[in-house]
Amino acid sequence: MERRQFLSMTLGALALAVVPASVKAEDFRKLKPNVWSAHTVDDAIKAMYGTTTLIENDSVYLKAAGEAYNSGKKAVASSGGAIPVNFSTKVPAKTIAVFQDANPEAAVIVYSVTKYSVNNYDIKIKMAKPGTITVVVEGEDGKLYAAKQTLDVALGGCEG
Amino acid sequence: MAGIRVKAKLKKGVVKVKAMAKHDMSTYNQMEKKTGNRDDANFITHLSATVNGETVLDSSTSQFLSKNPIFKFEFQGIGAKGDKVKMVWTDRKGNTGKGSAKIK
Repeated sequence: MERRQFLSMTLGALALAVVPASVKAEDFRKLKPNVWSAHTVDDAIKAMYGTTTLIENDSVYLKAAGEAYNSGKKAVASSGGAIPVNFSTKVPAKTIAVFQDANPEAAVIVYSVTKYSVNNYDIKIKMAKPGTITVVVEGEDGKLYAAKQTLDVALGGCEG
Repeated sequence: MAGIRVKAKLKKGVVKVKAMAKHDMSTYNQMEKKTGNRDDANFITHLSATVNGETVLDSSTSQFLSKNPIFKFEFQGIGAKGDKVKMVWTDRKGNTGKGSAKIK
């Protein structure tokens, strides 16, 4: 009896120990391949979340090329090769995705939020021409929160 | 040498990480122009970060990140000064790049 208990305990502990962190990783390129080939933001959001109903109620903060989404101004990026984008949210989130409508495909990046995440991110993206950046936050309540920012791009970034 | 440079700083309980991956991030259209073959495009498709074996960043990415893309992100509840933040990216061709830094 004792031996059996010991065995099952060690087995359990082993099973826990051998699951590497990478198993938890969610590769959305494999899980949802259609997101990455979608040509419009709507199609991509639909492929990702199954709906395109977005709530734009200031719960997502987005700043692109130095202009906040709620500044009322159009942002101007001098080079489309590296546009700084900053976004954050206080909404308890499951995933956060960034889309734009200037390039051949819409999806840029999808984060799966971990329990340690503080949802404040900075990335640099490429845009071939002026367009709109959309950040979608999938809340734990299943709703989609979003913020958009339109920008002018002086020099396209995808033409190389 | 492909890789990723990482900096991590602990401030008021939140660890802020700044990372720069060394990668061309070529798009399909760029490669079609250059080599005539869209399939030559290569870009980072997945980027993750771990601290003490726990995932703190997990992202799937596309070709529209800039060349040598910079990522900044934050996490809390794990990681003390001196702990290592390990980051790994995988690209479309299956190459991987690694980098790590101690939290300061």
